[in-house]
Amino acid sequence: MACNEIWAVARIRDGQITGAGLQLIEAARELAREKGLDARAVLLGCDRATADELAGVVNGVLWLNDERLNEYDAAVHAGALFGLMEARGKPVAIFAGTNDTDSEVVPRLAAMCGAAFASSCVKIRWEGDDLAIRRPVFGGKVYEELALLSRPAMVTVRPGAFDGAQKLAAPGSVEEISVEIPASSGVTVVERASSAQGGQDLSDARRVVAGGRGVSGESYQKVEALADALDGSIAASRALVDAGERPHEQQVGKSGKTISPDLYIACGISGAIHHVLGMNTSKVVVAVNSDPDAPIFAAADLGMVGDVMEILPALAEALRARK
Amino acid sequence: MSLKIAVLIKQVPDHEAIVQIGADGTLDIEDRYVCSFFDEIAIEAALDIRKAHADAEILALSVGGKRSVESLRRAMAMGLDQVEQLGDDSMDGADGLGVASLIAARLKTFNPDLVLAGKQAGDDDMGAVGPMVSGLMGIPLVNAATAIDVDADGGKVRMTHSMNGETWTVESGFPVVVTAQKGLAEPHVPVVMRVMKAMRAKIINTSTEDLGVSAADSTGRLKRLGYYSPPTRPQVQMVGDVNELVAVLAQRGVI
Ligand SMILES: Cc1cc2nc3c(=O)[nH]c(=O)nc-3n(C[C@H](O)[C@H](O)[C@H](O)COP(=O)(O)OP(=O)(O)OC[C@H]3O[C@@H](n4cnc5c(N)ncnc54)[C@H](O)[C@@H]3O)c2cc1C
Repeated sequence: MACNEIWAVARIRDGQITGAGLQLIEAARELAREKGLDARAVLLGCDRATADELAGVVNGVLWLNDERLNEYDAAVHAGALFGLMEARGKPVAIFAGTNDTDSEVVPRLAAMCGAAFASSCVKIRWEGDDLAIRRPVFGGKVYEELALLSRPAMVTVRPGAFDGAQKLAAPGSVEEISVEIPASSGVTVVERASSAQGGQDLSDARRVVAGGRGVSGESYQKVEALADALDGSIAASRALVDAGERPHEQQVGKSGKTISPDLYIACGISGAIHHVLGMNTSKVVVAVNSDPDAPIFAAADLGMVGDVMEILPALAEALRARK
Repeated sequence: MSLKIAVLIKQVPDHEAIVQIGADGTLDIEDRYVCSFFDEIAIEAALDIRKAHADAEILALSVGGKRSVESLRRAMAMGLDQVEQLGDDSMDGADGLGVASLIAARLKTFNPDLVLAGKQAGDDDMGAVGPMVSGLMGIPLVNAATAIDVDADGGKVRMTHSMNGETWTVESGFPVVVTAQKGLAEPHVPVVMRVMKAMRAKIINTSTEDLGVSAADSTGRLKRLGYYSPPTRPQVQMVGDVNELVAVLAQRGVI
């Protein structure tokens, strides 16, 4: 049994569709439109208001209205999606995010149904009747393009790969579906601690100021002050995380987070490929570095050569003056 | 009963190896291969666990041809004594699910309490094998763990991982698949004597036939269409002072 749909897994934060979630819906809408398929958002748990909000940006919402889905459990979420496939038929594709939860759920689900899986996709297009995706490999030194030959094709999409979906002229429908929900896999959450950002996920931040070895110790305060002036979030290179100065949740790069804010300001960061891979889908990148030959300038739109200790406070001041 | 741990590892190009697209469209990869970054963390995590559970039995597995043997020698040099190559070079083109199927077949007889793997391999960066093994075996999964504490007698494991902006401490019974994030353990550089000894060791191989898995089933879901250079940004615009910078940022609509 099959259905002519592309599903975008909706990820919700504090009752809101995340920015990356809106981009997934846009991806599903664009690719479905080209082939005359239907785009659907799949909502796991949550409430009617959230389902209605989703229906504002996608023609159909498949709402698995079951409170057992409200607490995240990789096996339960993968099992529920598997159940939805049994009930409704296999969709052409399932799009999810590169966030920490989908990175568990989607490959697990792909194994359960023998599907092709590709992570961290930055582009998706049709190659005949198959989906072709582009993604970084070898730590971002090159990109590969793969065709996914199974149905469904399962893809996690990097933030920034698509624009966020715009509101529809008329809202779509919400279809409540009940599927068999598997028992918990036995992973229980003992404690949830919000990060230094007060629980705000760096992945959703619109403006980010990141500091590297050039702002270690006390000087990192200049990064915080600039982020404050921008209403932005702070981040760090691995150098500062390894030194124990910043928590791992704030690390951007290959062994940290992949983010795509509108504005990324790299302060005292040399621009190693491992770092750049985590931020190179940002809309506008600014680099501040005392070394005019630092590789970060090749990954930036705008650059300033100089001492962070002088430039960051001056920039914060200029931004405040503008407000 | 002693604790049983499986560690899944892979040999990949060193992170500093030159990787570029050749004239014929295939990749030219500099011949500098190492055990993948996150896999070495998984190996070290297993060694750390053995410090508290001296009778723990640890089996390192690597799928594929002669390169996989090299990663197993590294695991031996680091201190593991039980290692096994699964399949042969016919598995080198396998996708994550192909690799995971072979591993899951082997784990059925090994019966581990804990499966440790890297969160992603340094070549395809896919992050598929660990979660897929958990899916095939129908056992719990904890991705990208930064801390692990095994209570063998209590039959449970406590782990920490970062979840969408929060730090979660979770607990699972056995068996469980845990993938390694940076921070889980600090891989040590093995001493020369152990490296020499590992170089001479005979490495056990278990074939795809023995495991009842066909190498042909491990491909066919993904087809590579080509390689591309990383996207580049337009030439950077250097600005002289902060007011100019603010003006450009405002013009680009990001402040
Ligand atoms: C497998 C692997 C994974 C990795 N993952 C990551 C990752 O996820 N994230 C990550 O960031 N790195 C990662 N790395 C490490 C990466 O290769 C670099 O070592 C790291 O990014 C360097 O951090 P940095 O730029 O802060 O420090 P450095 O390279 O030391 O650069 C410091 C910069 O600050 C500048 N500077 C110094 N003082 C001043 C000043 N007063 N004013 C202005 N500029 C100044 C210097 O000119 C220099 O360019 C990884 C490496 C490996 C091997």
